[in-house]
Amino acid sequence: MELVLDGVRKVFGGVVAVADVSAVIPQDQVTALIGPNGAGKTTLFNAVTGFDPPDQGTITFGGRRINGLPPWRVAELGLIRTFQTPVGFTTLTVRESMLAAATPWFMETPRGAFGLGPGFGRKGRKLERDAEIRTGEIAAELGLEDLLDVRTDELSAGDRKLLEFARQLMAQPKMLLLDEPAAAVAPANIGRLSQLVRRLCDERGLGSLIIDHNLSFLMQIADEVHVLDQGVLIASGPPEAIAADPEVMRVYLGEQAAEGAGP
Amino acid sequence: MTNPVFWVGVLTLALIYGSLAMVLNVESGWGGMWDLGVAGLLASGAYCYIILGIDDPDLGTRFVPGLPMWLAWPLAAAFTGLVALAIALPSLRLRREYFLITTLAFAEIIRQIAVIQADLTRGTTGFSSLDRPFDTLVEPRDYNYVLLGIVAFAALVVYLITRRIGTSAYGRTLRAARDNEALALALGKRVNRMRIKTFVVAGVLIGAIAPLYLFYIRAITPQLFAPGITFTIWTALVIGGIGSIRGGLVGAVVLIVFTEAVGLIEVDPQYINILVSIEPFLVGLLLVLVLRFRPDGLISERNAFGTRAGRRARRVPA
Ligand SMILES: Nc1ncnc2c1ncn2[C@@H]1O[C@H](COP(=O)(O)OP(=O)(O)OP(=O)(O)O)[C@@H](O)[C@H]1O
Ligand SMILES: [Mg+2]
Repeated sequence: MELVLDGVRKVFGGVVAVADVSAVIPQDQVTALIGPNGAGKTTLFNAVTGFDPPDQGTITFGGRRINGLPPWRVAELGLIRTFQTPVGFTTLTVRESMLAAATPWFMETPRGAFGLGPGFGRKGRKLERDAEIRTGEIAAELGLEDLLDVRTDELSAGDRKLLEFARQLMAQPKMLLLDEPAAAVAPANIGRLSQLVRRLCDERGLGSLIIDHNLSFLMQIADEVHVLDQGVLIASGPPEAIAADPEVMRVYLGEQAAEGAGP
Repeated sequence: MTNPVFWVGVLTLALIYGSLAMVLNVESGWGGMWDLGVAGLLASGAYCYIILGIDDPDLGTRFVPGLPMWLAWPLAAAFTGLVALAIALPSLRLRREYFLITTLAFAEIIRQIAVIQADLTRGTTGFSSLDRPFDTLVEPRDYNYVLLGIVAFAALVVYLITRRIGTSAYGRTLRAARDNEALALALGKRVNRMRIKTFVVAGVLIGAIAPLYLFYIRAITPQLFAPGITFTIWTALVIGGIGSIRGGLVGAVVLIVFTEAVGLIEVDPQYINILVSIEPFLVGLLLVLVLRFRPDGLISERNAFGTRAGRRARRVPA
């Protein structure tokens, strides 16, 4: 299952947010997508996940064309994204959020509520039990087990980040799309976060595509890095090569240097 | 003044409004669809029920189907479900505030149709002296107790249905999509389809409750379905606690008993007009006081769904 972008283009008014990007994101590795603010990274995520379909180009996942599909269909195929600001299901508890992510659609119907339809009887009860067991396991793995009955809007920012992963894993993804997972994470916890992402992906054989501004975090976990600048893919390669690329230095690090010692 | 039959009637009305408020809670409280068109769905159910039951050609209507009550009742519920579907398909493309205005407009259109299609609905004349279930079994003056029993049973059924919805995976995903639609989509939730189904379910339930309202009022004219009834149901739900499970029922009992009790205040006849005009003010005051001291209503969604462990954990400082 690999994600293939072929000539993906997205224009907002006069702004070319993504300009003919082609790339292959394999499933068995961690891929990073970097670039200065406004480079088009989130726009590319929105194009892939059906929230804002591209104007041109094709996107396939596992050989299947996915542009034009609605977001829920893309998610069903196993591409599960996060959002740049992790808000979550504000009034749901951690447990409810995780269970909601795992529930198959046929149990989320009025019929399903009364045990009718495809989720009827033993099968439905087994699905529910399995989801509960997985909730416990994943919560324990991420250190959320004591917070299962706490509402999302009462979690700390860090725990809310962990809940993002927990929900994604409950949805049984094939590939994770993470939009700035390290933002607002204390520097001391970055190491733990990168280990966590690496482990989650390796153990489950998940692919991942990660947007972030924290280069030291990405260099720790990425197998391959793509650099986007003003919608154009200007470089791709292993982290060491990217870090040594003078062009990348100019657009990316140069910009950061100009900003001073930003966050 | 305080004879028991009066209070039997008050409680009957409160339970009817309570049932409607619990249904409204499913679509608006959990589903996040702010529906201001309850009156329109209620009118659809009520008129469908009445028209299917017409058995007297002298009433001058175009159709005289003469269906028995037990057949007209479920058909009225099904018809109201179809009306809800027809409203949901275009309206659910709109965001909250626009959805609200659109549903209000649909309700008014339905009321106007009831006025205009006089050969079906007898227009502003309407119908009176309806047959009511079991009314041949008891003395007419004892019928109020029978109706209270029927309505109480219906309220219990509506409570059980809505509670089941609220505590199921379906209800959980409805609340999730209400909180964060984009995230629900990103997790593969078929948000729009789920909402359409929810709106239709609410329509069917409102259509099923509609005949009870007619048994209570004993007459039907389009004016019965003016927007006021929608706002009363909303007020009951907000007082009781939007998003909770029992809130609609509790809020309706508090609201209706309060309103009727205000009507009982004994004043000098020359002040009766003032009392009548002050009534909406007092209802507003009740609403403001509830929202001031219990912003989530008498029963909050948090208390309905949060677990005891969760409430304890919240007290632990971060
Ligand atoms: N919905 C939209 N309408 C109009 N312009 C948009 C829209 N979304 C993004 N843009 C523009 O497209 C460009 C790319 O934005 P995008 O959010 O993809 O950047 P990004 O790389 O994610 O940046 P950041 O690192 O700040 O998150 C920007 O110029 C932005 O202003
Ligand atoms: Mg972005």
